[in-house]
Amino acid sequence: MTVVHKTVMESGTAIGQALARKEDDRLLRGGGLYVDDACALRQFAMAVARCPFPHARIRHLDVRAAAALPGVVHILTGTEVQCLTNPITVLRPVPGAPMLPYYALAQEYALHEGHAVVSIVAQSRAVAEDAIELLEIDYEPLPHVTDMTRVLDPDAPVLHPQIMTSNLMASKTDYSGNPRAKLAEAALVDYDRFFVNRVAPLSMEPRGVLASWRSGARELDFRSSTQVPHLVRKQLAEALRLDEGAIRVVASDVGGAYGMKLGLFPEELLAAVHAMHLGHPVKWIEDRMEYFRASTHGRESFHDMTIGTDDQGRILAIINEYTNDIGAWNSPFGSSQLSSVTFTGPYHVPDAQVCRHVVLSNKTPIGAYRGYGQPEVNFAREVLLDRVARKLDISPLDIRRRNLLRPEDLPWRTPSGAVYDNGDYLRPLEMLAGATDYEAHFDRPRRPRADGRIVGIGLSSFVERTGYASARFLARRGSHFGAHESVTLRANRSGGIDLYTGVSTCGQGNETAFAQICAAVTGVHYDAIRVHAGDTAQSPLNTGAFASRTLIAAAGALKQAGDAFRDKTLRIAAMVLQISPEDLSIAKGLVHSVREPDRTITLVDVFNRAITGQGIPEGLEPGLETTAHFEPPEASFSFGSAAAVVAVDPETGDFDIERFVFVHDCGVAVNPLLVEGQVRGALVQGLGAALSEELRYDRETGQLINGSMMDYFALTCSDVPKIELMHTEIPSDVTTFGVRGVGEVGTIPPAAAVANALCDALRDYGVAFSALPLTPETVWRALQNVRNKGETP
Amino acid sequence: MSDSSNQIEICFEINGRQVTQTVPVRMHAADFLRHQIGLTGTHLGCEQGICGMCTISVDDRPVKSCLMLAVQLDGAKVRTVESLAPDETELHPLQAAFKRHHALQCGFCTPGFLMLARSFAGRRMNRAEIAEEISGVLCRCTGYEGILRAIEEWLPGTWTDASLSDEAGQ
Ligand code: FES
Ligand code: FES
Repeated sequence: MTVVHKTVMESGTAIGQALARKEDDRLLRGGGLYVDDACALRQFAMAVARCPFPHARIRHLDVRAAAALPGVVHILTGTEVQCLTNPITVLRPVPGAPMLPYYALAQEYALHEGHAVVSIVAQSRAVAEDAIELLEIDYEPLPHVTDMTRVLDPDAPVLHPQIMTSNLMASKTDYSGNPRAKLAEAALVDYDRFFVNRVAPLSMEPRGVLASWRSGARELDFRSSTQVPHLVRKQLAEALRLDEGAIRVVASDVGGAYGMKLGLFPEELLAAVHAMHLGHPVKWIEDRMEYFRASTHGRESFHDMTIGTDDQGRILAIINEYTNDIGAWNSPFGSSQLSSVTFTGPYHVPDAQVCRHVVLSNKTPIGAYRGYGQPEVNFAREVLLDRVARKLDISPLDIRRRNLLRPEDLPWRTPSGAVYDNGDYLRPLEMLAGATDYEAHFDRPRRPRADGRIVGIGLSSFVERTGYASARFLARRGSHFGAHESVTLRANRSGGIDLYTGVSTCGQGNETAFAQICAAVTGVHYDAIRVHAGDTAQSPLNTGAFASRTLIAAAGALKQAGDAFRDKTLRIAAMVLQISPEDLSIAKGLVHSVREPDRTITLVDVFNRAITGQGIPEGLEPGLETTAHFEPPEASFSFGSAAAVVAVDPETGDFDIERFVFVHDCGVAVNPLLVEGQVRGALVQGLGAALSEELRYDRETGQLINGSMMDYFALTCSDVPKIELMHTEIPSDVTTFGVRGVGEVGTIPPAAAVANALCDALRDYGVAFSALPLTPETVWRALQNVRNKGETP
Repeated sequence: MSDSSNQIEICFEINGRQVTQTVPVRMHAADFLRHQIGLTGTHLGCEQGICGMCTISVDDRPVKSCLMLAVQLDGAKVRTVESLAPDETELHPLQAAFKRHHALQCGFCTPGFLMLARSFAGRRMNRAEIAEEISGVLCRCTGYEGILRAIEEWLPGTWTDASLSDEAGQ
């Protein structure tokens, strides 16, 4: 798909067009403003000393030699941090879990490799790093636990013994109907435990901060690489015991986030404390070694999944009990809850139960990561469903056909209380079956091709929860943020609109999409709208860019603010032109009469009248500026099905994905170009997690084995298989303009599609997969297992 | 060791401009270009030679500038992403192709891809070869498809008068 050139675009029809992005010109020229691109006069640099052990008591700490190094200007230890700050507040607590006081530096105990212990500010980063080498820290290594299946063992060390008696943070069960009774009636019950790998979100821009303190004014200026400037401001105020009014948080360009940059991190708080103490700006830019050990990781969990069906493969009940290992702390955004929301997937399952356990271990905290619970549970359910189909001798396509929710079943309430909005779940699956010629493939014997490889096709159906169902829903779960978005539109003297949003620019193209909607609603040309994003001093209070929710909520705010802006513009023009506002329209920088297009007034004129208050209707307030807050009444669900076509060598286990087909509905696409970009990007992240990404901890030492870019295998261009995309477009009936979120959906189906394709190719061998990632070695081992049992064909 | 000790004077050409400057011997080229020359378009993602964010052109060859010391730039002809576009209004054809094909999202990797791909000018490469060659730069946002399409579209335009069109104005 290529971009529609702006000249063929009429401002009034900007929704649905693949307009070129507003963000691109600066980013292409190297003119982006990421945190490390800003610098303040006489700024200092900060570096952090980190615990090398997974669990240790800090017996003794001596900073004198480090402090004496020329160029070192300030050092903080846990003791000072405890005096100067409050623990970092959690934005989204795990419901029912105790609060763990999370200080920016380790207090007496360090709880994971990479836990921050001392921070040092110096003339340069190099000097600060030299000073770290001079610290004398006497660690007493303590017993640790990093295996998530062992954290609740009686002999496992308890991470927070002052507050908890075990490493279990919380458990929560949701159910509907009577799943146990239904399982007792089932013709077939299948069960397995599925392991989901710990992965790194891996934004190319690491974390970073530039904190400046104006001592006379007592104001903190805080540039951060964050998805949520307004929420970071709130957390900073709480931790630093400052009024929110004294803090300005700015996120200019953010070099990728994917859920990880959701909230205040310890190092950011440290930079602020140093800056306030010194009266000098302090910068901290994370290096990649720190990133792997001290940002937040994603996903790690295991799912015990049970599915019961009748003899025709109709699902009677699903029971899913799972454990999320969130590492050593509840990070600012805490544990994923979406597995519980979407565990029944797109299927008609009135009788179902889900139970979530959240546990701690001596590893880097888990935070939000794209998909956030949905890829995990999708892997378990979709793989087990295929096994059920094989046991019943039904095709994986047919078992999905029989169980998908029908349009007339929607809206559908899941056991967690979430409500799926309208849709047609069968259509993407049928499109997929057609595109892959699934039925013909299924009937063919699984014989090796000339190259020795056997071809298999695997399916994976899914839903994605996008956005939040109201602030009331969030309040019940104790979240410290709302479900709304907000926007301010301000006319300027050049005849354009300044659009202010608290949503920062992380790559999704929000500047573009916001301007498109604003242009469509107001009639002001797309090119005349300038988006000012991510600055708390400019933008109305909002929530932030996460949970595939930005556009769902922002579209409503843009519509309301845009309508009000347009109304006032027309009222002023109506007075000048002596035509009633209903007979006026806005296009091409003019307000013109609908009937007599020659009768016009320029927007420059109208806006200047409004700004000066000169020449506007009696009684009309001067100024042309509108702000709106919008909370979507419900979450919206995207849906679809995906297929992987693999060719696997049954001797070596080596395999390639020859096609990946993804059919999906995200409602009305504001900009198809952005939608395709979001989907492809997320799919490749999902494929990476399925095929090669995994953060491994050494069981003996408790240390991260592969914590560097050299040992962590994100997909490169040549690793990415051919991806084909198809869409249906059913407008959501619960959102403005019918949009559904799209940011995370691609992460959800890949793992199950690939696992199912491998099983399909090797169906005569009877192999099964229940752990990620799926590597040639995994396949080879599975084949060896079967061979050792003497069951090969 | 403090920063002020061990400095060396180097003389090199950056984006067509001759520069003589004193650099700390332990500073790598990317840090130097970013923080001393002020060209922040070159990014850092690993400082380990893997991610490719820091790719620049040194004597017309793509180089990962985090693996190079600033002092090694002495006498070299260096180009960064800031040199590509001819002026404020127009983009380099490769940049324009990136824009048309939505080859960037957060944009953090973009300078690395542009500086690497630019070195392909005049070469005949199919899609698989392009994919292989750009695998030294990572992108976590786009899934690479837009990047591939952009380079595929731009490349043939460099075959006839590659040196003229691509190097114009530099
Ligand atoms: S920063 Fe140079 S290769 Fe990653
Ligand atoms: S566009 Fe974000 S990493 Fe490539």
